[in-house]
Amino acid sequence: MNIQKKMLLSAATLSLGVLAGCGNSNEIVMWTPLTGEDGQIMDQMVEDYNDTDPEFPVSHVITPDLYTQIYTVMNTGEGTPDLAMIHADRVEGFVRFDMVKPFDDLMSTHTTLNQNNYIDQAWTAGEVDGSQYTIPLDVHSNVLYYNQDLMAQYDIDHFLDDDVLTFDEIMSLEGQLEDGHYAINNALMSWVLLAQVVNLGGDISDDAGNPTIDTPEMAEAMEALVAVEEAGLMTPQGEDGFAMFQGQTVIFSSDGTWSSLAHDMVDDLNYGITNIYSFDSDTWHNRGSSHLFSMLVSEDRTEEKEEGIGEFLEWIYENSITWADAGQIPASREVYESPEFEDYQQSFFTQTEEQRDSLLIFDYEYYGYVEAAINLVILDMLYGNISIEDGLAAAQQEVEDLVAQGHGADIEIDLDDFEVEDAE
Amino acid sequence: MEKSMTEEIPVQKKKKFNLKQWIFIGPHFIFFAVFIFFPMIYGFYASFTRWNLLSTPQWVGLQNYQTILGDPSSSFYRQFRTGLFNTLVFVAGTVPLQVIIPLILAIMLQHKGVRFKGLFQAIFYIPGLISVSAAAIVWLLIFNPRLGPVNNLLGSEVTWVVNQPYAWIVIFMMTLWGAIGGNLIIYRSAMSGISRDLYEAAELDGASGTVKFFKITLPMIKFPLLYTIVMSTAGAFNVFAQPLMVTQGGPEQTTHVLMMYIRTLAFGQGQSVAGMAAAMSILLGLVIVVIAAFQFKIMYSNAK
Amino acid sequence: MERNKTFIITKWVSYVLLTITAIIWVFPAIYALTTSFKTQSDVIQTGFRLLPASWVMDNYARVLSNTSSAPIVRWFLNSVLISTSHTILMVIVVSLAAFGYARLDFKYRDTMFFVILAISMFPAVVNIIPNYMIVHRLGWVNTPLAVIVPGIAAVGNVFLVRQFMTGLPKSYDESARMDGASDFTIYLKIIVPLIKPVLIVTSIFSFTGSWNDFLWPTIVLNDVRQLTITAGMLLLQDIYGNYMMIGQLMASAFLAMIPTTLLFIFAQKYFIESLNLNTGLKG
Repeated sequence: MNIQKKMLLSAATLSLGVLAGCGNSNEIVMWTPLTGEDGQIMDQMVEDYNDTDPEFPVSHVITPDLYTQIYTVMNTGEGTPDLAMIHADRVEGFVRFDMVKPFDDLMSTHTTLNQNNYIDQAWTAGEVDGSQYTIPLDVHSNVLYYNQDLMAQYDIDHFLDDDVLTFDEIMSLEGQLEDGHYAINNALMSWVLLAQVVNLGGDISDDAGNPTIDTPEMAEAMEALVAVEEAGLMTPQGEDGFAMFQGQTVIFSSDGTWSSLAHDMVDDLNYGITNIYSFDSDTWHNRGSSHLFSMLVSEDRTEEKEEGIGEFLEWIYENSITWADAGQIPASREVYESPEFEDYQQSFFTQTEEQRDSLLIFDYEYYGYVEAAINLVILDMLYGNISIEDGLAAAQQEVEDLVAQGHGADIEIDLDDFEVEDAE
Repeated sequence: MEKSMTEEIPVQKKKKFNLKQWIFIGPHFIFFAVFIFFPMIYGFYASFTRWNLLSTPQWVGLQNYQTILGDPSSSFYRQFRTGLFNTLVFVAGTVPLQVIIPLILAIMLQHKGVRFKGLFQAIFYIPGLISVSAAAIVWLLIFNPRLGPVNNLLGSEVTWVVNQPYAWIVIFMMTLWGAIGGNLIIYRSAMSGISRDLYEAAELDGASGTVKFFKITLPMIKFPLLYTIVMSTAGAFNVFAQPLMVTQGGPEQTTHVLMMYIRTLAFGQGQSVAGMAAAMSILLGLVIVVIAAFQFKIMYSNAK
Repeated sequence: MERNKTFIITKWVSYVLLTITAIIWVFPAIYALTTSFKTQSDVIQTGFRLLPASWVMDNYARVLSNTSSAPIVRWFLNSVLISTSHTILMVIVVSLAAFGYARLDFKYRDTMFFVILAISMFPAVVNIIPNYMIVHRLGWVNTPLAVIVPGIAAVGNVFLVRQFMTGLPKSYDESARMDGASDFTIYLKIIVPLIKPVLIVTSIFSFTGSWNDFLWPTIVLNDVRQLTITAGMLLLQDIYGNYMMIGQLMASAFLAMIPTTLLFIFAQKYFIESLNLNTGLKG
């Protein structure tokens, strides 16, 4: 057995010498979860940056299961990327487990990287206990697509005079639509629901950090959605609401900014974008998230390289107009205020301060649990398979159970403190 | 379990300290120890901890198992029960057909008068090469009420993927579509090992096709058959991609299989709950092993 | 006469059943293929049509142009190297092990086999972390070894080959042993030739499995140049269907399966030949 093992190891070492051995120490390795179109656009941006001949060129690595991969390298402490793109709702958890390094030092030498220069919600998503842990790239948001031809057909253009579609306006279509036509579809339903909860003054967590799903606000928001469904205005369960919007049988589609890429491929689809519907035209939100640059804790990253990262992020700040091609909203003020960006549909969300304020980014540490738990029950609640009461109670309990598991780390810390005191 | 075969070799009765078998099983055993056994031990250890895959696992003893098996107020208890039940439905719905359909096809392909064997075989095998995500989209299109041939050509009014038992039917169809090819070529190679003389002798005795199948074919391919039964079952217990992509576990979580819950706990949105996921994996593994042991027992006792 | 009649009836029954099943099986594949030539507008048009309203190559063009900046030739060569080495190593290791577990006589042989089989049946969801740590300790991260070797540990293939070897009559080895043949000679000269069809099957399974795997490669090969073609292509495609460009998804699925399909058709020729050559055994 020993001989076998030795043979195996020597074969391994041999192949290693031949096969490994690239990897430039001057390279900034950046991991992103951007598969598909997004990834190619980011590749293009990185190429453009490297063409400026920086001291520290960037190497873009697409990782389809980014968080799994981060877990694996953090467990060995080696192979950690210099820069990693994470989502807004991951920041708090990463900070808690000391996985990310703050940008505070870098911000003092690269002054472009400051709060005033970025969409506020995207910036503050990276702020924990007074330190800045991430620099935002974009906001990608929930958006309401509308079919212009269908709106003209039903003579409802005035619905959007104030840029907000309300539940009342939707309900007024009851009985007015042709057979096979629907008012709205059920795409990204959980994002719509979360926006409604905030419209009603609710939230997904309380001040103590406990999840709040089974709340009167959530129930009220859900009831409003169910009323739309019961009026026959929502696309039926099991139908592909996304394809139905492209097939021009549904007037409004609540989807992501990025879906415009696919909509553009449909020949005679005339569509526009506006805010996600709301209870009244004074209060509205569009639930979104943000891609954020972060530095995972690593011993290999030199200070010089960090300066190089600062350079890159400043370049991104100035040049992320390319990123708008992916259907996203660049977080950089210089870009979203530029005349070029006005050509992009999603500039709708940055035109006014009021519009920018409508972008809703959750940074609750357990947001991921909340969204997953809601997704598990939302369609069943919407189509009456289960009651709203039962669905919300189940989701609430599930998130509480998950959060309780996560608090294992706290227990450990408490015990340590206790022991220290004892020893004294 | 398998005494009948081992006892037939009387050579080398004296089993002194003997290393010669290690020349054969040694290389695989090393790979097994390094890449399956050690990680498995780690997974087993993790099932007694709280672990978010980042900080050090924190020992909690049997707590995860107690929660999953004995705390009806916990959502993990509910997930395990729902998930295991749904997985059993999937196993019962697909495994027998995954064995019987390719077996019948293989018998027909053995027929001396049948031509185009290669073409048929390729048609049955190639769907298994299509990526699961593309396969799911095709099957969703086929059963789409507005776009698909099933409702449009057959005039059905059913919205398949959101109503039971239709949601299961779509998942079963898609699974069988990709899965029978592998078993088919295993049966084909097993049947090729059967001597024609045996059939000819039986025919002289006037045996019918059915008799030949049960008296000659089945006993001669029983070992490969056992392999396909055991491995198809184990594979079916590990299912998650098809329900995830076709129904996302709905309606009302009736197709939400256990592996979907386990993967969500370990690698879902939000922080990992890997300890609980590991405990559920161990319990699922026990179920698979117990059922495999039954299958071995039944096959070998019938073979006598 | 009676026999001939049965022969003809069973032949036609077989043809009918095989044809019906083949139609059901081939239909979704054809539908997927024709969809890959449809425009997005065409795909979402109400009502079922198998053929595109107008055939377009756009989906293929887009998929291929997406890869223009990618080191696609390098990926292809990586994959050929990885899947071929994996398959060769697998067939050698597996046939040796199966011979040991099926035809040698040693203490606790069957118990040992069932124990390793049982262990391998436990779902390995969280084991990806320790597995990565092991591969990392071996220094294999970002080398082909990280994707060639770990899969060899699978017990399923050993089980498959062992089952075929178990079915062979013991008299074969015994008479050879009497002639003074060593275990290795029996393995190489008697057993392996007899189970050639199943070794071809195992090779097909191993090659396809290795070629199509993408999750593990993306975890242990985070240097873009070292990636396999499947993993690399999937990164460039919309693997999670976020953009729902259905035609493009189908086009990339078909492009991705060309190599494995060709391999299967090629291997099938040898497979069927080896089936026909196999004169069969007497019980």
